[in-house]
Amino acid sequence: MSRDMMSAFELYQPDTVEGAAELLGRFGEEGWALAGGNDSFDWFKDRVKRPKYVVDLSGIAALKGIRETPDGGVEIGALTTLTEVERSSVIQGRYKLLADAARRVASPQIRNAGTLGGNVAQDARCWYYRYGVNCYRAGGNTCYADTPEGQNREHCLWGADRCVAVSPSDTAPALVALDATMVIVGKGGQREVKAEEFFIGPNIDITNMTVLKDGDVLTAIRLPAEWSGARFYFEKVADRNTWDFPLVNIAAAMKVSGAAGAEKVDQIRIVAGAVQCVPRRLTVVEQVVQGQAKTAEMASLAGQSAVRGATPLNFNHFKIPLLQNLVTRAIRDA
Amino acid sequence: MADNTNGRNYPEPRFDSFVSKATSRRQFIKGVIFSGAAAAGGGYLLSMAGCSGGGGSAAGVERLLTLNVNGQMRPVDVAPNETLAMTLRYKLGLTGTKLGCDRGECGACTVLLDGVASYSCSTLTHAVRGRAVMTIEGLEGPNGELHKVQQAMIDELGPQCGFCTPGQIMSAVALLNENPTPTRDEVRHALSGNLCRCGAYDHYLNAVMRAATGERVSQA
Amino acid sequence: MAYELIGKNFTPPDLHAKVTGKAKYSEDVRVDGMVFVKVLGSPMPHARVTAIDDSAALAMPGVHGVLKADEIATNPPAPQETILTNEPLFVGHPILAVAADTEELASDALEKIKLTYEELPFTVDPLQSLYPGGPNARTNGNSMAGPELRDVKWTAQDFAAVQEGQLPQGAPGAEWSFGDLEAGFAAAKVVLDETFVTAGLAHHSMEPRSALSYWQNGKCYLYGSTQSQSFPFPTIARLVGVEAENLVYVSEFCGGGFGSKGGAYPLMAIPALMAKKINRPVMMRVSRHEEYFMGSARAGFQGRIKMGFAADGRVTAADLYIVQECGPNQGFTDWLSAAEAVSLVYQPPAMRFRGVSVMTNTPPRGPQRGPGQNQIAAAVEPLIDKAAKQLGVDRVAIRRLNAPDNSAKLGARQGGVTSAYLKNALDRGAEVFGWAERQARSGQRNGSKVRAVGVGTAFHPAGNSGFDGLVRITPDGKIHIHTGVGNLGTFSHTVTSRVAAEVLKAKWENCEVVRGDSSKHLPWNLGQFGSNTSFTMTRTNYAAAMDAVAKLKEIAAMDLGGAPADYDIGGERVFAKSDPSKGLTYAQAAQRAIALGGKFDGHVAPDDLNAMTKASAAGVAGTGLVGVAKDNVPLTGTVPALAAGFIEIELDTETGKFAVLDYVGVADCGTVLHPQGLDHQIKSGAVMGFGLAASERHIYDPQNGLPGNVGLLQAKPPSYLDVPSEMKTAWLDIADPQNPVGSRGIGEPVQGCAAAALLCAISDALGGHYFNRTPVMPDMIVNAAAKREPSHKPLQVNTA
Repeated sequence: MSRDMMSAFELYQPDTVEGAAELLGRFGEEGWALAGGNDSFDWFKDRVKRPKYVVDLSGIAALKGIRETPDGGVEIGALTTLTEVERSSVIQGRYKLLADAARRVASPQIRNAGTLGGNVAQDARCWYYRYGVNCYRAGGNTCYADTPEGQNREHCLWGADRCVAVSPSDTAPALVALDATMVIVGKGGQREVKAEEFFIGPNIDITNMTVLKDGDVLTAIRLPAEWSGARFYFEKVADRNTWDFPLVNIAAAMKVSGAAGAEKVDQIRIVAGAVQCVPRRLTVVEQVVQGQAKTAEMASLAGQSAVRGATPLNFNHFKIPLLQNLVTRAIRDA
Repeated sequence: MADNTNGRNYPEPRFDSFVSKATSRRQFIKGVIFSGAAAAGGGYLLSMAGCSGGGGSAAGVERLLTLNVNGQMRPVDVAPNETLAMTLRYKLGLTGTKLGCDRGECGACTVLLDGVASYSCSTLTHAVRGRAVMTIEGLEGPNGELHKVQQAMIDELGPQCGFCTPGQIMSAVALLNENPTPTRDEVRHALSGNLCRCGAYDHYLNAVMRAATGERVSQA
Repeated sequence: MAYELIGKNFTPPDLHAKVTGKAKYSEDVRVDGMVFVKVLGSPMPHARVTAIDDSAALAMPGVHGVLKADEIATNPPAPQETILTNEPLFVGHPILAVAADTEELASDALEKIKLTYEELPFTVDPLQSLYPGGPNARTNGNSMAGPELRDVKWTAQDFAAVQEGQLPQGAPGAEWSFGDLEAGFAAAKVVLDETFVTAGLAHHSMEPRSALSYWQNGKCYLYGSTQSQSFPFPTIARLVGVEAENLVYVSEFCGGGFGSKGGAYPLMAIPALMAKKINRPVMMRVSRHEEYFMGSARAGFQGRIKMGFAADGRVTAADLYIVQECGPNQGFTDWLSAAEAVSLVYQPPAMRFRGVSVMTNTPPRGPQRGPGQNQIAAAVEPLIDKAAKQLGVDRVAIRRLNAPDNSAKLGARQGGVTSAYLKNALDRGAEVFGWAERQARSGQRNGSKVRAVGVGTAFHPAGNSGFDGLVRITPDGKIHIHTGVGNLGTFSHTVTSRVAAEVLKAKWENCEVVRGDSSKHLPWNLGQFGSNTSFTMTRTNYAAAMDAVAKLKEIAAMDLGGAPADYDIGGERVFAKSDPSKGLTYAQAAQRAIALGGKFDGHVAPDDLNAMTKASAAGVAGTGLVGVAKDNVPLTGTVPALAAGFIEIELDTETGKFAVLDYVGVADCGTVLHPQGLDHQIKSGAVMGFGLAASERHIYDPQNGLPGNVGLLQAKPPSYLDVPSEMKTAWLDIADPQNPVGSRGIGEPVQGCAAAALLCAISDALGGHYFNRTPVMPDMIVNAAAKREPSHKPLQVNTA
């Protein structure tokens, strides 16, 4: 039951990454890393999550900005706002997939404050979980959504493992498609984790959506040169055309050769969001499509291959044809 | 169908489970106020290695900030968990910014932070820092001259119930400051974070286009 | 008829405040020493509170008091909606309230209150409750029969007698019929028997219903959020427990209501009762989540309609059954109004209506824009298309054939209408929209996208009589038009007041609309709901202004000779027709009125006025010339508001998403009072219609009664990007004979026709696939386009 007034917490506003990591490391599970706040304040106002210590990262200049790196890639500070990512000429020019994804997140005001790091680290949107029930993800021992009459329209097609929530981020599939690397500073120093491994499902840790632990600060997201300037396709289908989380989204990066009308997909990375607890890399589709002609028939075959093994719940059957269609469109229309 | 109880599985009332946590926090707060130092946090409230700009703000303890609001420097006591919308509405006498949902889901609380449209309900006042805050009250000239967006809203009968209007106007002002000649579709996208339950979108767009072009839009 | 003011645009006087942030809604009011009250809402769908331990909360410094159900003498008795309760009937139902120095502290205090509950059976599905042995929302029953709460159960045979997906039709709670149903169906070329579901959905007015109250010298001051100003007053007084003279009620600005704030509602009494208890001013800030729980919702329908159509498309008979989901209380009359709407819009020569209104443990239902009429338009209009398709009749033509005109009849008693021109509205809309041309290219594909068109119609009764008006001319020559009309966003407080100015031939700049505060001596008006204001309060202003004109002439005759009939008005003077130079200015007449006293200055007022108006007349007595009268002009027949909507969409069969390319809304609402305002209502009504049709619904988990979509994000009201960038409007502007300026109301059917048109277009885009359900959302469209079964069962309600 929500009350709208956040319960009291201590607020820390460090201006260095080291300071933030040190604080978060010390506070442990009583601490909370705050970026844009759009995800956090919801929990706090409902009083479902009530950290004792909130560490506001928004004053750390080192976490902001988009810079081209010597290896030909790009590094984006985790606290860079989604609006900056969307409008960056570098991202639009070389990694348009991410700009397209960032543009579709939520609403303009949320994009103005919301950060890329926050968007990938955000928590699940399952309405039962958000309501505050004591489900597995909340540390309890039940799931409300995966029940005979559970209202699970927006839940997963794969990877159900006591929890059936999905990855709600729009930028996450794009980053996985771009083979991004997350840079994390924590107790053991700095480490790099591939985007695909950054997101975890209930089989690894049912209470966390990513590998970030207490004490960690996601500092940057690196895009390798490999997919710079590739052929991209991003599409998000949601109930409304603003604010709403994806019902399904698709992010694809392709290397295409050949003349128009006779194109061939040499390499492809294609990732679906909101169908699994993590952004789902559609490796079957990649295997089917790689090296093949980029035709409507191939696109259709790709779509069919994408949904093999999907296990619908009570109300999310539609995600099967929807995912199939989005994959088809990605191959056909990119 | 005959089973009355449905095997229901709703959550336990949470009040009991929160009592103990609230109690300990209460004691903690008292400790901070009276001793001037955090009971558990050591000296971090008062000084911080590698954390220039002051230490943390103790839970429940308001700290004096100076906010740049509508061109004026306003000193105000602000708690760590206080949102900008609450500070504006309850401490600075600026009730033009509205609370429609308090969750960033409607836009009625939109203000400008350094010219950028932001949900004040989802901004900690302590995180505003030196940014210039502009609210609906700040648009008028010193002698009550209306901003061109406000005048256009009147001329095109933009609002209906008026509750979302300040937020809509602030988003429009942010847009026109950045893009003085938007297309109608650009306006539509720029304002897409502002909900209107009355559904006054058509007239709002007419108003913003009028403000941009100076030309009458409505045919009615 | 050429008017000076009626039919002209103007700047409503409250616009400036709205665009500058100066408009004060309840939560903007600040009073020294005010404290905050927060309500504890039930975590369970149905329970009994057996013990409340608030000792820990009361012990907290800064906590001022706890208000509980048992101490409220004015608590409406079950099964009415309560102020507070010890038997919560839905998740979120207010049980008690806590007042503290800050809102945060009040929230902290709520957490310290220990409640002991006894769980009770619950239901979120009317059909489940109707089944033998099924759970009831209340311990004593599940359906109201008049004032009586009953336990209504159908038989197992009722359920077994129908096929899967058909609504069972057990014993109804209400029934009426006219004409020969059997003969009607026998004469039909096409007979449809369709089961449908329309979702309940929250009003989600933009302004949550916050309220502030304080007491001074035994008088209660309440700042609240209501669509109406005068109408809620007596009920508020009753809820707060004071006589009328001890209540001041202010609702100068209301941030939307859509029916949920049409009159008073129990929640608004909480700050007043708490303020009285603790002797402090009390602010109750209602959060969005609380507004979902306590802010009303539309009734849901599980329905079935059998309709017969002749070869040319004429409806020959209609047999309608509605099972209404009415929340935990009496709910509203949607089910009855829906039937009346069907009888009016399609003019069936024979019709039967049966229905039952069943309670569930979900938020209370109240009127929501076109309550009953708009759901049934959404459900039935696509079926009209289905029949048209089977008969090979054009979809506009079939509606035109059946549409009401001046000879129309409606309802069980087949009464008449004051006037009706829906046929003309369809013709006008078809012309403006280009129906013939667009219909011809409907079905055109562009890759996965398909274009389609739709047309929809809707109705609502739109006017009443018997309410009061009050105008006043003061010695400075200013005309004060007192109105009890609220400020819900239609500007009708001023639009209808202009009738008084028109009658008085006054310059608009010399007129002041007095409103928004009961201490300003306002007349008794009907509330701002039911699309009635443009009819009802033009009549009241007409009556009051005519009374003022009569008095002006009487005073002139007294002072200048002759009879009142020898005088005329113009240029804010009353003058002799034979010699216009012989006259009095309004200012002079006002001074004379004060000198004369009696009826001229309000000291004596007509006996048939409502008590509120009498008190208001007495309150302004002696300040000028007072025109005060009850609208006693008889009203025969129903005043209808009628609307038609035309839409073209482009639907993507691969994603289930559609874009509205064009929308034309046409209004049949009598004389147009305020073109800009009407344009606004037609377009904004369409936006709400799109939400009703395609995005909004309640979701409840039947296993535990938990609500699935409480906030605005999950409720999905349409945004800028979900509606077309531009819409077009048209209106007939044909005067209604039973209104002094020819005006009728319009606010509600402009939503229903848009919802209907959109649903028809979606079905058209899918080649004639009828969902028989609202809302139609992308998942349903994707499944339909992929020829997959829907995920929900046909009669399932409150489902994602």
